[in-house]
Amino acid sequence: MRISQRTVASGNVLLCVLCTILVVSLIGGNVLLNCITRYNVASSQVRSWKESLDAAETGGDIAYAELRKTISDPTHAFSPSNGWTYSGGAYTNSPVTYGQDNLSTSSRVDPFYYDGNGNAWYRIRTKGTAPVLGLKRVGMDDRMGPNTRGDSLLRKIDFNYDHFVATYGPNGDGVGQTLLPVSKPQVSRRVELIAAPMTPFEAAIKAGGTFYGLGSAAYIDSYRSTTGSYDASVKTNPSDPRYPDSRSGTVEINSSVATIQGSIYGNLYTNGGTVTKKTTSIFGIIDNNVPFSLSPFAMPSTAGWNYVSSPTMITPNTTINPPVVNGVPRTGTAQSPNYYLVASFANNGNLTVNPAVVNGVAQETYVAIHVTGDIGQNTSSQPTITVPANVHLEVYFDGNFQTKAENIINTSGYAGNLQIYAISPTLPNGAPDPSVQQTVNLNSGGGSTSGFSAVFYTPSANFTINGAPDITGAIVCKNFYGNGNVHWHYDRALDSAGDAVDYRILSYVEDIR
Amino acid sequence: MKLKTSPSIAGFTLSEMLVSLSLSSIVLAAAITCGISLQKSFNAVDNYFSTQMQQIRIIDYLNRDVKRGLVVTTSVDLQSVTMSVPKYIIQAGDPEAIADPESIGMPRTPTVAYTPSGWQVNYSPSTTTVVYSISGNSILRTENGVVTTIASSTDQLVPQSTDVELSNTEYANTSVTFLPIFTSGGAVAERTGTSMYATAYLRNKRRG
Repeated sequence: MRISQRTVASGNVLLCVLCTILVVSLIGGNVLLNCITRYNVASSQVRSWKESLDAAETGGDIAYAELRKTISDPTHAFSPSNGWTYSGGAYTNSPVTYGQDNLSTSSRVDPFYYDGNGNAWYRIRTKGTAPVLGLKRVGMDDRMGPNTRGDSLLRKIDFNYDHFVATYGPNGDGVGQTLLPVSKPQVSRRVELIAAPMTPFEAAIKAGGTFYGLGSAAYIDSYRSTTGSYDASVKTNPSDPRYPDSRSGTVEINSSVATIQGSIYGNLYTNGGTVTKKTTSIFGIIDNNVPFSLSPFAMPSTAGWNYVSSPTMITPNTTINPPVVNGVPRTGTAQSPNYYLVASFANNGNLTVNPAVVNGVAQETYVAIHVTGDIGQNTSSQPTITVPANVHLEVYFDGNFQTKAENIINTSGYAGNLQIYAISPTLPNGAPDPSVQQTVNLNSGGGSTSGFSAVFYTPSANFTINGAPDITGAIVCKNFYGNGNVHWHYDRALDSAGDAVDYRILSYVEDIR
Repeated sequence: MKLKTSPSIAGFTLSEMLVSLSLSSIVLAAAITCGISLQKSFNAVDNYFSTQMQQIRIIDYLNRDVKRGLVVTTSVDLQSVTMSVPKYIIQAGDPEAIADPESIGMPRTPTVAYTPSGWQVNYSPSTTTVVYSISGNSILRTENGVVTTIASSTDQLVPQSTDVELSNTEYANTSVTFLPIFTSGGAVAERTGTSMYATAYLRNKRRG
């Protein structure tokens, strides 16, 4: 019998080769597995986690846009045609799916607070969901130690069930917890935004267009009426406790065309301007990169206001006394003022609005007047508005406004007690009419003693003020022109006065549960 | 019976043995060296990927908190970040939790207050303090004293954050670097080449 050992030798070599391949394959396979798992986390899970926040914030943007419509276009705000429903005091929309990654978002908006002006504050809760593609497995980086949690603590992925609904309920308030299966792995993130009403008078002067002013010896400073009357010496006395309130005479200009003269004891913002401290006397911050927009102003809803049928026109001698209801003069409230609809305001009209008096004591009285035309039609017009103490008057007008500064008489000295609003011109279909240029023209006939205390919100009007009156108040306008040595005092208490003209997001919280 | 011995399976000569042993040793040494190198390379790649995941995690944690931060400050050496965030969720020990233990884990309803700085939204009279810091080999996230290790620094992870405050906004720039285990003679690029950057804006910035 012949025995060959050649087979054994060949087998050893083959075994060695196989072992080597096995070892290398094990190493490679292990690393490949790790890489795939981590790639899965980095490519799919991290991406989905970030995208779900994008989706949640998109939901916030959608809800915020609807909220802004409550000011600019109330009839179309939270419209059912856009998927919104109102139930239980809150607006909710059906989930919106968008983008090539099929992100979805839904929102819930409810008012949770009303401020002293009757403006609603809204809470916007949104949920954004992104599908998790790739392998249906967790990451491998939670392994750092006994007290260490890594990815799973940060990124909560719902592989089979919605953990949030199961633990906290669909609204996160502990009601209605249920085991809700998900059709495919997903990540959901939730944010809560607080939309605060923007009141009109947050700066001494806010111009949506160009700015020229004021005189070379003019100045703009500030004070806070709730802590005392105006004192011109405070702004240069750092030891005075009122000093911080004296340097908020801020001017905001949404244009690069800004000719700044005089002194500004506050900040100056322009949109692309070239203002520097070397060329101006500005004691606050100069920022030439602050764009903003002023929305056209529409007449607020008068539903809920106390309509009073007379007078319907302002003559040279018109006095408005509060209506008497059940033997008591009605004072109205900020949310529900006594409301008069006036068709004409004579060029030489004199309007006096008296407070309600009960048992000989003047009451805080709230009045709103809508003038569906001009208040003063030419430079010779001298209409007068007189507001005694305790009266809070809001004047809305559709046309132009022209008078002498000294004809605006606000006895209390608090500018917030006389608020003048210019309703933006519109086309018959309700859209803004850019072909009509509103104007507000104030002339000063008596120098510094001819000043006034009032606020103007005229976002579509060109505002011109001549002379050098002392002004306490604030102005929002389109283009601003003032050539006099005005002493302008902005009252910081105004930053919470007036009707909402827009909304801003004041708070942002992510619900990280 | 006599076995016939074939000349073809005759024994090796000493010289043949020596040559074959030498060649085998060389081949084996080469194979082992290759194996070790492969293992090192794979280990380095695995480590790089793992550490990069930690970079992502650090930045994701930090950005999430910066976004909801009311106030954010960075240390002089840029290696720790302290921020105040709203107390949105009721936690054990909070007054609401003591009054109603069922409320633990539930969100608070916000309140509104007017301050000399303007309107403020508050979820609680106090805020939550969150600190990101390096401690030994770990990157720590401390929330109201509760420490969570969010990354291991055995790979010499170094986060650096810069708080940038402008007149009308504020943001935090963060970069995280680490030293990979495969090196090239101490070149600076070893660390800088691993940099990961992020910018997060404060959505809740409070002004004084």
